[in-house]
Amino acid sequence: MNEQDLKLQAHFDGELPEAEARQVMSRLARDSDAVALLHTLKSTRQALSTFEAGIKVPETREFYWSKIRRGIEVAEASEARVQPVRESFLFRFRRLLVPAAGVALIVIAGMVLTRDDWAGRRVELETALADSKAFTYRDYASGTTLVWLSYPAEQENSAGVGGTID
Amino acid sequence: MTEKRYSSAEDEALVRWSQKGDLEAFEELVARHRDKIYARAYSMMKNEEEAIDLSQEAWVKGWQRLAQFQGDASFATWMTRIVINLCLDQIRKQKRQQTESIEELDEESGGVERQMPIFAPDPLAGLERAELRKEIDKALGQLTHEHRTVLVLHEFQEMEYKEIAKAMDCSIGTVMSRLFYARRKMASLLAGLKKRD
Repeated sequence: MNEQDLKLQAHFDGELPEAEARQVMSRLARDSDAVALLHTLKSTRQALSTFEAGIKVPETREFYWSKIRRGIEVAEASEARVQPVRESFLFRFRRLLVPAAGVALIVIAGMVLTRDDWAGRRVELETALADSKAFTYRDYASGTTLVWLSYPAEQENSAGVGGTID
Repeated sequence: MTEKRYSSAEDEALVRWSQKGDLEAFEELVARHRDKIYARAYSMMKNEEEAIDLSQEAWVKGWQRLAQFQGDASFATWMTRIVINLCLDQIRKQKRQQTESIEELDEESGGVERQMPIFAPDPLAGLERAELRKEIDKALGQLTHEHRTVLVLHEFQEMEYKEIAKAMDCSIGTVMSRLFYARRKMASLLAGLKKRD
């Protein structure tokens, strides 16, 4: 086979760009071998076009379908077994995801609150987690620290006691 | 739902019902298109048992993937694509390197070209349809998997060169040369009929 024959085939198959198609047409006008090749391609295509029409499944409708139905049942049963495994994995993953997200939020909040911004003003908030009744506020720009202590209502007033430290 | 209702329904309706889980509707689709799907598998594999197995596997996959069928092409075309892909997977598994490398050398050296002069007369004129199909069947069986595949994908599946190249994981140039070789070899084999007659 040569490049010209492959171009002729591509032209026959409608796969050749227009410029090259014109060259093929020009060749066909003067080359009897090219014409014969084109005729061979057409005859082969015509012969093949009738081939599959005569092919039938060599099994009865019921028998052929019975195997397909069985295949579908097996596939669906297999999917049903896999699904609970997938769900429990997702469930377990979610159980870890929620607390992990909570920790991440606390870290991000801490980073945001301790960053330098507002024209150099640095503010820090702190809560003593072990003792949720204490709250500390520090303003580094003014050198102020405020500690808020919440006492039980029967000892002092319920608003709590605070003091500033300069 | 009576059998009569399914047999008179259009493919689109049967597909819609099947997508909702109606297995009887799907059975009707299988009955309507089973020959076409089987024929495509048989053209590719040239083996009845393999073609039956692969076509049935295609129907099972079709059922599983019904939700993906959007109606861009006809249902039959969609199913033929499924069976073609299954056949291609099977061919890859069965690939016999030794035999195909000899054929490829023959193709590249133009061995077939030297044996096969270009001729003009139609060698198939006058043949009965059934006889012609029988001879084409024999001729297809004499092609390698690679050559038969490219011929089936182009002539029956009507795929473009670039689609065939992607499906067969080769270059467009390779598709073109294999297709050319397959066509000329088919013509040569079928021309032998006329000479015998």
